[in-house]
Amino acid sequence: MNVKTIISLIVLGLALFAASLSVYTLPETRQAIVLQFGNPVRTHVEPGLKFKAPWQNVVLLDSRVLNLDVPPEEVTTSDQKRLVVDAFARFQITDALKLYQRVFNENGARDFLSTPIRSQLRETLGKQTFTTLLSAERGSLMEQIRTGANRAARDLGVELVDVRIKRAELPKANSDAIYRRMQTEREQEAREIRAEGEEEKLRIRAEADKQRTVMLARAEENSQKVRGDGDAQAVKIFADAFQRDEEFFGFYRSMQAYRKALR
Amino acid sequence: MPWQNNNNGGPWNTGGNRGGKNPWGSGPRGSGGGGSAGGPDLDDLIRKSQQRLKGAVPGGVGGGGIMLILALLALIWIGLTSWYTVKPGEQGVILRFGEYVRTEGTGFHLKLPSPIETALTPNVERQNRIDVGFRSNVNGSADYSRYDNESLMLTGDENIVDVAFTVFWRIGNAEKFLFNIQEPQEQTVKDVAESAMREVIGRRPIRDALTDARDKIQVEVQQIIQDSLDQYDAGISVKEVALEQTTPPEAVIDAFRDVQAAEADRERSINEAKAYSNDVVPRARGEATKMLEEAEAYKESTVAKARGEADRFNQVYDQYKDAKDVTRKRIYLETMEDIMQDMNKIIIDGSAGSGVVPYLPLPEVAAQRSRN
Repeated sequence: MNVKTIISLIVLGLALFAASLSVYTLPETRQAIVLQFGNPVRTHVEPGLKFKAPWQNVVLLDSRVLNLDVPPEEVTTSDQKRLVVDAFARFQITDALKLYQRVFNENGARDFLSTPIRSQLRETLGKQTFTTLLSAERGSLMEQIRTGANRAARDLGVELVDVRIKRAELPKANSDAIYRRMQTEREQEAREIRAEGEEEKLRIRAEADKQRTVMLARAEENSQKVRGDGDAQAVKIFADAFQRDEEFFGFYRSMQAYRKALR
Repeated sequence: MPWQNNNNGGPWNTGGNRGGKNPWGSGPRGSGGGGSAGGPDLDDLIRKSQQRLKGAVPGGVGGGGIMLILALLALIWIGLTSWYTVKPGEQGVILRFGEYVRTEGTGFHLKLPSPIETALTPNVERQNRIDVGFRSNVNGSADYSRYDNESLMLTGDENIVDVAFTVFWRIGNAEKFLFNIQEPQEQTVKDVAESAMREVIGRRPIRDALTDARDKIQVEVQQIIQDSLDQYDAGISVKEVALEQTTPPEAVIDAFRDVQAAEADRERSINEAKAYSNDVVPRARGEATKMLEEAEAYKESTVAKARGEADRFNQVYDQYKDAKDVTRKRIYLETMEDIMQDMNKIIIDGSAGSGVVPYLPLPEVAAQRSRN
């Protein structure tokens, strides 16, 4: 009885051990290559519980979109400006077997991929001027780099999903020059604005002075006219009255003059 | 109940039954039946099992005993791993042997015990934020100073601008989020966000970034991030891109401030001039009106005086016509009388000779006397 139990336990244990060697789980995020004595025999892409012979072993590779940070690369544009470009890429393993044979795993792929991406960066951006690089064409440039680097990537069993320029910086010396330029530009602008203010001020004041002068002159003109009109009317009134008897007017007016003058 | 569940599908249990020696192999079934009524108590179960064991193997723990302990451990394991809860805002993503099988909503759920099924519960409602160019602190303040390499960007007109912004994102699709992109997923969002912002800033002149086009920039950047993430099938939905700060770089900020000061100066000059103008023009207008009014007044008065004098003359003349000589003499005499009345009169005799001034100042003498 006891011996029987022990034997059955051992058998059970062996069976379980064998079973554990012939079963493995493949998560959603992975793909698998089954190796028999080091030779790949098949690949598994669909996740779930998978079976294999107990003497085969399994290499798991990532099936997700993977990060690749490309080290900063100094690029000279076609107008001889230097630029430090920091790019990153996203890639996916499309052919696990090829990848395994060429570079063994994801990190191998990263090491190898950075080189074609950097050379594509240098090549593609080197043909462009600095301003194009900043312009709206940036998107299509990144696409060109991706397409170019993808030729090398496919050879590794990898597809580049995206290559993007994260940063495109000027080297320190150049950015200092930009700062100086920005500063002088702003100084110019400030001077211009102040001068404009002064200009406007003078214009408005002159306009006001002009208005005043013109207004006063017109008023002078009009008032003289009015005065003259008054005088003329008075002259006419006197003349009409005094013409009736010039001799008596002379006498009468002298009397008035005496009154005024001798008092 | 978990135990029931296990009996239905778990491969482990069939193994136990195959052993044939297990006296309580039916135990979980029995208690499972009870469980549907009220829920089995684990301690109770263990105690009962032990009692049965004692009855079955009176000599103590033998081969069956080892089986029993293993079974017991397995049972505990199953009890602990056959269920999970999904909190509000989370989704339960169930994997069977690593393969995605289903997604469950909020609440208590059963699953096959680990390692057959595993549950992941990502929070799909939480708003995640990624700061670029600064870091927000817990207390709400923000630190802008130490992230220049993230925040300094080239603009389209070859200037440099200091940009700090935040990306708010949520998990849009839990399966895609978990299975399609490499962890940490935030890194992908951040890389793409930085790249997108530089791309957009690089297309525009610095003035846009500093003033007018901030809204447009936010929208464009959000679009680019979302497009890129969709390209990766990342299951991430970008809710908002918020520009926290766009300033000129530290090195030149004084010059930019001076431009603003200059603008204020310009406004001030113009306002001063306008004030001057507002002061001078109405005064001049008043003065002009005054001059005209004075002229009118002069005219009116001159005419009126003339008319008055003429009228007077006419009236006098009307009378004079009738008795010319008499009136003439009368007017002369009256005038002389009137004039001479209040005058100092000095009478000089024409025949007094020419040697001495024939003058005796009587009034002066009288005045001198009264003074003494």
